[in-house]
Amino acid sequence: MSGIIEIRKIPRSRWRRKLSSERAFDSFLQLAMLTGTLLLWEWLSTALHAEFWVSRPSSVAQAMLVWARSGNLASDLKLTLTEAGIGFLIGSLAGAIVGFLLGWVDRLGRLFEPLVLSLYTLPKVALAPLFVLWFGIGPLNKIMFSALLVFFMVFFTTFQGTRQVDRDLVANARLLGASPMSIWFKIAIPFAAVWVFTGIRIGLPYALIGAIVGEFVAADSGVGFRIKEATSFFDTSAVFAGLIVLMAISMVLLGLLKLIELRLMRWQNPGDIITTEIGA
Amino acid sequence: MSSMVSNPRLEVPTTAAPDMARENLIHFDAVTAKFGQLHAMGPTTLSVRRGEFVAIVGPSGCGKSTLLNMVAGTLRPSSGSVHYDGQQVAGPNSDVGYITQKNYCVPWRTVEGNVRMPMEFRGVARAEMDERVKYALAQVGLTGFERAYPKQLSGGMLQRVMIARTLAYGPSVYLMDEPFGSLDAQLRTRMHAKLLEIWQKTQATFVFVTHDLQEAITLADRVVVMSRRPGCPKLVVDINLPRPRDVVDIQADPAFGAYVKQLWHALDVD
Repeated sequence: MSGIIEIRKIPRSRWRRKLSSERAFDSFLQLAMLTGTLLLWEWLSTALHAEFWVSRPSSVAQAMLVWARSGNLASDLKLTLTEAGIGFLIGSLAGAIVGFLLGWVDRLGRLFEPLVLSLYTLPKVALAPLFVLWFGIGPLNKIMFSALLVFFMVFFTTFQGTRQVDRDLVANARLLGASPMSIWFKIAIPFAAVWVFTGIRIGLPYALIGAIVGEFVAADSGVGFRIKEATSFFDTSAVFAGLIVLMAISMVLLGLLKLIELRLMRWQNPGDIITTEIGA
Repeated sequence: MSSMVSNPRLEVPTTAAPDMARENLIHFDAVTAKFGQLHAMGPTTLSVRRGEFVAIVGPSGCGKSTLLNMVAGTLRPSSGSVHYDGQQVAGPNSDVGYITQKNYCVPWRTVEGNVRMPMEFRGVARAEMDERVKYALAQVGLTGFERAYPKQLSGGMLQRVMIARTLAYGPSVYLMDEPFGSLDAQLRTRMHAKLLEIWQKTQATFVFVTHDLQEAITLADRVVVMSRRPGCPKLVVDINLPRPRDVVDIQADPAFGAYVKQLWHALDVD
């Protein structure tokens, strides 16, 4: 019987090549659009005398240079990233654990559902002043606020995801001899991991939001503080410089996360479908 | 292959006589199944001998799968009792291998990892595990696919992974619930041959639920025909066809045709 079933991989190299040339062209288009936008911005703000309101790319670049030369850019970045980073770690860890527990243990989920739903609709930013009261005006306040925002994002996705763990799969594992421990670690947690990652991806920008909002409310340094300070001096160029720095941080972080996710979740996108062909 | 773990979830022997228990691995004693108002099955009394290949056929909803669930311990009979190896089944019975149409591969593990999983649950030593995985995958013709993920495989291949997984941990009983229902005819015939080979090698007991009479006759020592709901055995036929069987040639045997006719009429009358 063995040897009758042959394995054949679909030849896909040709359309893959076509796809990659299309992708290269798309990247070129994106670059062109970016350059176009910058040029248009520069030209329009000069032509319409709107520099006070929207600055222009060359002034923004200059403001960035001044910021970097003063040594503040490095220290602001370091502070904001530390706050957001620690907040992110605390928030996603707590969110994943609590989300998993409430999602897995039906009774806990039912018990806490009203609380969870009422917190879900609460605009978390409204808590920022309270956090100043609780945690002072130092970095701890920003860390906790970051953690809070990230917690909710990770918590909700993990909670929803864990509730979708295939109960048949669990029953089957039990029949295969799995202990409750094994079911947690070999079925439920890997199943929920996908959702934890989704939550983390959604939550990552919120870590930064938490730190920045915290710095807006009360701080004496950090990227958020710098943006607020520049606004109060009507220094639009410096404000935009701050925004661009934030954007760059977000992009780098998301890229990093994507990389980790690809590594850990390789099974979700393992490659070509293997087809079997039954020979004569 | 004998079972690797003693089963702590079975209760102490109760009513079954010891000599009967030695011969009969599974014994249903007047079991019935009710799901709310629905009287699905019974009363059914039926024994399966150690090492026997029993097929259960019958119309949809007659409680064929219910019988398997009771052996697996995932469903308690509404009345009556099920004895497994002389002991009353009272909880999940991990001495069985359960194979259904649904595949229970976990998507984040490779083929190899999936076959390994039940052995990890049972604490089989690593070296032995590797050996068994290799053997089981070779048996179902999946050598070379160890590192593939379930997402990459076709339905027929996934079904073979399920069989390899069961084969690898070596239960005493294979409970099969229309396992090849979704496969095409050719692949199904191939799987029949493979299954008979495995049955002969492992000397395990097979309880095979199907609604395909040809499939039942090809494989089984004994075919149990269930009646319409509430289902209970209305005819039990010994299939006296020679072993080992060739799954293709056997269909040309005149006796095969006679069995088909007999079973068909039994199914048809109600």
